[in-house]
Amino acid sequence: MKTKTPVTNDKPLLEKPKDPTPAGLFWLLAKINSVTLGGGYVIVPVMATSLEKKGWMAEKDFYDIFARAQAFPGPLALSSALLVSLRLCGWKGAVAAFFGVVLPPFLALILVSGALAKIGSLPAVQRFLEGAGAVVPGLVAAMIYKTATKRAWTVLRIVETIALAFVLVFLPAYSLPILLAAIAMLYCIEGPCKRSK
Amino acid sequence: MQTLEIIWTFFKVGIISFGGGWSTVGIIKNEVVPNWLSETDFRSLIAIAQSTPGPIALNAATMIGWEHGGFFSALAGTLAVVAFPVMAIVTTTLLARRVKLDKLAINESLRTGSTAMMIMTLWALKPSSADPVLLALGLGAFAIAAFTKINALWAILGSGLFNALAGPAVRRLLGIGG
Repeated sequence: MKTKTPVTNDKPLLEKPKDPTPAGLFWLLAKINSVTLGGGYVIVPVMATSLEKKGWMAEKDFYDIFARAQAFPGPLALSSALLVSLRLCGWKGAVAAFFGVVLPPFLALILVSGALAKIGSLPAVQRFLEGAGAVVPGLVAAMIYKTATKRAWTVLRIVETIALAFVLVFLPAYSLPILLAAIAMLYCIEGPCKRSK
Repeated sequence: MQTLEIIWTFFKVGIISFGGGWSTVGIIKNEVVPNWLSETDFRSLIAIAQSTPGPIALNAATMIGWEHGGFFSALAGTLAVVAFPVMAIVTTTLLARRVKLDKLAINESLRTGSTAMMIMTLWALKPSSADPVLLALGLGAFAIAAFTKINALWAILGSGLFNALAGPAVRRLLGIGG
């Protein structure tokens, strides 16, 4: 079956991968972000394979960076693109990556918003939007289910999650300061405070 | 002045947009409903944001900006929502070797935080009407997204098309006004 001769580098057909350039990063990311629908968890795997295909970064290295990107605020697609491009091309790369990630969705949404302003009041369009909106709670619930089943839960973490969710639900006006304080506190409980005992 | 409000609102959203799109949606809702749009409109907006390219928070900023001040507000909102994340990455990169934080503890605390945020999002976006067709579409989407590998986009578009084309007929069959 797989008794092929080992792949050697002297294969003349194999194109030598070009080095990453800011312009190259911009185009790659712009392409991914124009055609990949469905948010960060869909975009990230596509980024991983495209970067590897280009020969710019091994998938494993990408996912190491992705793990770091999760610790930053902001869309995952943006933070991982920025960190990857910083590694590959420095600051110029990061600037290129920023526009590659932000520009396509921005233009797409301007088009969609413009179109909706024209046809949004048609009954069929209204029903479409109502039907599309109806799935949103289902999708959120599914995402909670998926994250929850993957987590290494402890009693403490369950209590923390439920308590924080309660506070957020009942004090929506203060969600921002509450979250900032909560994350600092959770960090301390998970790390430094635990060890200092 | 609307543009300034858009900038400030989405800048704040950007600060706590942890853990992938869905956890941030509840925060965005708290900030924009009911001042700028109704709950139903917000839900449709999120469905659109999820089925267009790009991160959901960015899409929401662009659309809400567009509806409140046109192109310039859309641009301002979009840049505002990524301003803090970009600053955070720039600062940590510059300080990379000076600040030592416990990576594992960061990730675990953010996981707890973003799960709680998603629960809040779910609460904020819980179905508001008892319409059985819409509830069924929501349940169907949950099943597809939780137990299959099908892109949620298809659930959104399928559900929208179903309600647009078959919604009135189905409601007539069930004997409810539609």
